[in-house]
Amino acid sequence: MSAHINAKPTGDVSSLVHEDKVHKSIYTDPAIFDLEMDRIWGKSWIYVGHESQVSEPGQYYSTTIGSQPVLLTRHKNGEIYVLFNRCAHKGAQLVGDSCGKVKDFRCGYHAWRFDLDGKCIAIPLVQGYEDTGFSKDDECANVQQVPRFDSYRGFVFASLSKAGPGLEEWLGGVASSIDNMVDRAPDGELEVTGGVMRYEHDSNWKFFLENLNDMMHPMIVHQSSSLTARKVAKRELGEGAKVPSAIEIIGPFTESYDFFDDMGLHAFPYGHGFSGGKNSPHANYSDVEEYNEAMYSAYGKERTEEIFKVNRHNTVCYPSMTVKGAIQTMRVVKPIAVDKTVIESWTFRLKGAPDELLKRSILYCNLINSSANLVGPDDQESYYRQQNGLLTDGNDWLPLNRDLGRDEDMGDGYLYAQGSSDLAFRNQLAAWKHYMAEQS
Amino acid sequence: MANTEQLLRQHELEQFVYHEVRLLDEQRWDDWEALFAEDGVYWAPAAHEQPDPFEHVSLIYEDQLLRKVRYERYRHPNAYSLQPFPRTSHLVSNVMCDSEEDELTIVNARFQMHEYRRGQPGVFAGWYEYQLRQINDAFLIQQKKATLVNCEGDLTSSNVYF
Repeated sequence: MSAHINAKPTGDVSSLVHEDKVHKSIYTDPAIFDLEMDRIWGKSWIYVGHESQVSEPGQYYSTTIGSQPVLLTRHKNGEIYVLFNRCAHKGAQLVGDSCGKVKDFRCGYHAWRFDLDGKCIAIPLVQGYEDTGFSKDDECANVQQVPRFDSYRGFVFASLSKAGPGLEEWLGGVASSIDNMVDRAPDGELEVTGGVMRYEHDSNWKFFLENLNDMMHPMIVHQSSSLTARKVAKRELGEGAKVPSAIEIIGPFTESYDFFDDMGLHAFPYGHGFSGGKNSPHANYSDVEEYNEAMYSAYGKERTEEIFKVNRHNTVCYPSMTVKGAIQTMRVVKPIAVDKTVIESWTFRLKGAPDELLKRSILYCNLINSSANLVGPDDQESYYRQQNGLLTDGNDWLPLNRDLGRDEDMGDGYLYAQGSSDLAFRNQLAAWKHYMAEQS
Repeated sequence: MANTEQLLRQHELEQFVYHEVRLLDEQRWDDWEALFAEDGVYWAPAAHEQPDPFEHVSLIYEDQLLRKVRYERYRHPNAYSLQPFPRTSHLVSNVMCDSEEDELTIVNARFQMHEYRRGQPGVFAGWYEYQLRQINDAFLIQQKKATLVNCEGDLTSSNVYF
């Protein structure tokens, strides 16, 4: 046994990530998870919600940024705010429901009332505070707004840090994935609809993000579902029969190494990236004529074809949000503990498109993203086995060497590699290292 | 007061439901499938009072073809999340007939499914709603809907029918 195998790195946590290897402890050490909540989830732009969830004044949506409960709200002035979900008084959470509509927020403990931008409106027996050094007009009497929040084409992100790049600069090369999903709506707008599924993973949040652009796993992990679906459809429906949408969705997950290699990986600063482009598992869904017509009349044929040509698989806006533009679904990452993560799965209606498109997105989520489907539990099993396998001694460093040094430099920090490369992992972990190192 | 005919009907419906979940526990998938009408569906919604399975996500919404994929997956050597295969015990209670109209019998019940998976016990609980068609003496499932009490909450991986 070589001496370094069981050596635990000490000091600066950024030493746990190298260009060609990552130390297992970043997935298993609870102390590192706590640091991540501060240095990554407390600093980066984190996805909060979609503007369509608070389309009317008074509406709110309750969610989290890392471990902190927050509210996305729509004020009667039409503006959107992100507030900490905490009464300015004694800290009780202002709302318990996940969403709703109010005239103002009224704390259930002592009935302090706040406007949807957090401004304190009323305190019972307010005269009791006269000449005591506290006034309802003080800044500290307001529900506090999250330091920064901004929206990109309807997607609201917030940052717990006052400093850092602006949202659009931060999104950089993956903004075009959001653009493509929005552009697929004939009316140029999306609406969150169809509910949400919350899938509890007994594994670290980073495994999920790495897996999304791990193009070496689908044909292995999904044999029992995807290959079986193809086989059963052929047997039950007959060779050459038109396959139902469900099989169109599950089938491509066991395409060949060549197929996934060809999709390619695109990596950008801050850990973002996507797979696919010219091709993806979503490229060959049956046409919906009525939808194509709606797109042609909205954008013209040439522009429509440009929009449809973009066939990306998973786009990761590191660390919190991932989208599949071609099928209008989004998964949002909620880290709970070092070995516990909740993955929320959302669907969008393309405004101006026939219902069939939404139905296909819903079907996709049922088949791929639900906790009880035929495909997802095998992904989760892989992360669960990693989480437990990495508790063993030996091989403390995981290799990231596949196609190392073979990235194509596209300029401005944009790297491209074939699908089977470890580029997506190296890129996410480089961002991890950058965030984690800054304050140490 | 219930008459003999009603009591017999109640017994018949209860026996059907008990038999149905027993087949699941005994992993007799082909026999279980035989209880479904050819166009019968199994539905586990992702929200209470979810109006339909098409414009709202569901934990499971499977027609016969997808159920056959699932049984076949159960037998596949590389179904990683099924190693070892989970054991279940379904308990059904509060079986009540809601209506019998147009050859469709609606039966409502409560269930608890105890699951033993990855060496850990787990519990799922909720409501069943059966839409049954009677063909002579036998029932065929037009739809079995299993609504978990916590279907809107955080749920861990699940491979078996509730």
